[in-house]
Amino acid sequence: MGYFSESLSTALDLILSFDREVWETVLTSLKISLQASLFAALFAIPIGIFAAIHEFRGKRLLQQVLNTLMAMPTVVIGLFLYGLFTRQGPLGELGLLYTPTAMVIGECILILPIILNLTLVAVQSADPRLLPTLQSLGANRMQTAIMVMSETRLAIVAAVVAGFGRAIGEVGAAIMLGGNIEGFTRTMTTAIALETSKGEFELGLALGLLLLVIAFFVNFILYAFTRRAGS
Amino acid sequence: MTAAYRLENVVFGYKNETPVLSIPKLLIKSKNITSLTGSNGAGKTTLLHLLAFLETPTSGHLHFFDEAVSPGDLLVLRRQVALVAQNPYLMKGSVMENILLGLRFRGVLKGQQQELARQALARIGMEAHADRDAGKLSGGEARKVALARALALQPRVLLLDEPFTHLDQGSVEQLESLLRRLQEDEAMTVVFSTHDHLQGMALADESISLMAGHPVDSPLLNLFHGRLSGNGFDTGRLHIQVPDDMGTGKHLVVNPAEIVLSTEALTSSMRNRFHGRVVAIAEERRRVWITVDAGEVFHAQITRESLRQLDLNLGSEVWVNFKSSSIKVF
Repeated sequence: MGYFSESLSTALDLILSFDREVWETVLTSLKISLQASLFAALFAIPIGIFAAIHEFRGKRLLQQVLNTLMAMPTVVIGLFLYGLFTRQGPLGELGLLYTPTAMVIGECILILPIILNLTLVAVQSADPRLLPTLQSLGANRMQTAIMVMSETRLAIVAAVVAGFGRAIGEVGAAIMLGGNIEGFTRTMTTAIALETSKGEFELGLALGLLLLVIAFFVNFILYAFTRRAGS
Repeated sequence: MTAAYRLENVVFGYKNETPVLSIPKLLIKSKNITSLTGSNGAGKTTLLHLLAFLETPTSGHLHFFDEAVSPGDLLVLRRQVALVAQNPYLMKGSVMENILLGLRFRGVLKGQQQELARQALARIGMEAHADRDAGKLSGGEARKVALARALALQPRVLLLDEPFTHLDQGSVEQLESLLRRLQEDEAMTVVFSTHDHLQGMALADESISLMAGHPVDSPLLNLFHGRLSGNGFDTGRLHIQVPDDMGTGKHLVVNPAEIVLSTEALTSSMRNRFHGRVVAIAEERRRVWITVDAGEVFHAQITRESLRQLDLNLGSEVWVNFKSSSIKVF
């Protein structure tokens, strides 16, 4: 117990003294997760809205695939992209492996199905009168999509926040694609996983505490948005 | 008079289900007020959705002002009509933003949008509510705003789904006079649905009755359900004499214009005579409607003159007489 409480007090010290290593890692984490969420949202929201408001062949299959992808093991994505980005891989020449870009791509692929599926569900569970009302007012496809997005905006923001939450807490793909390079690709999760085993328990604990705070904050936002969206 | 809509052999239904609508032939005249009457589930809302181009017929032909409707034209056609739903949906934002929305969608010049929206709000007496949050309106107010949202679009055809349901008498009268002004002053074609047959017949120039997705040519007033037995139709409460060659059917209607009311039993060729009491008297557009409870409830249409001669009041005893030829069984 003494070991744990001493470590905890050192960890708090690290946080409160604005230890460069700690905060740099937090910033890298936030940067990569935010970028991944942004790019994923850019694709997932329009596709999700389109899929929700149109009837097409294979729609059910798409939803089933999305549900499966939402539960995809992150190391599998890491493994797949590692194969693409490694020097011997088809995209090896781009030199992306162990860069933040590779991590952003990995996280983006990981959370795209989450944001897409949650957007789709959000739009599908919107008021059934919304679409016929927009159509009868004379909205074209683009106007319809924009209005649907506007009417379901809270639920869509909640979808993006959920994606961000998944990205920032993910470790498998981040280790395989980022490599935990200090000041470059070291994120909170990779640092906790790898530095602790090197004996840096206090650093891991400090980052763990901060990750908890962020996770709590994300969930708080998610709760607030879904509550308002539901009201 | 040209036809606003012409439907030929129109069938609408969902996959592997019996069709919701099946209309061999139907004309809705332009610049007329047309009512669609029928009970719940008769297909009124579905028909309105077809007329608003929100749905396309599964088979058959639909013509709009003599132009055949094809699936590629739906957006252009939707922008010529306006539909007010029975339980309308208002977007998030203010009343004004809701009314401007359709004008924006339809590409109305920016300079005219505000003016049209204000005029529409003024017509329904809601001009003072322009800046209110649409989400905080009462049900009645929301329906008024939805009506204003449709009026602002100046459609060629205004479609209303059950506009009179849950309105108080004053609001009913206001809406009736508004619809008449739209027709008379602006030559607008108005189609509204109602489950109240009297209302449908009173306000409209033409009344289309729907039953289980089929248009029936007689108004569905005096509609009774039962079965044919011997030389008559048994409703469970009354035995109605029908002509011998009536065929089969479970529904019977008596044309309200062919019912003769008398204060004493008539000795005439009319085979159906039922004694009852007057339970309602109403006047609509110079026509007098008398409702008589004679075991079954009959609606009879008479002139003011006959009302005066018969000296009928609520509770008066009266005979309902009609020939078996005034009956349809289907």
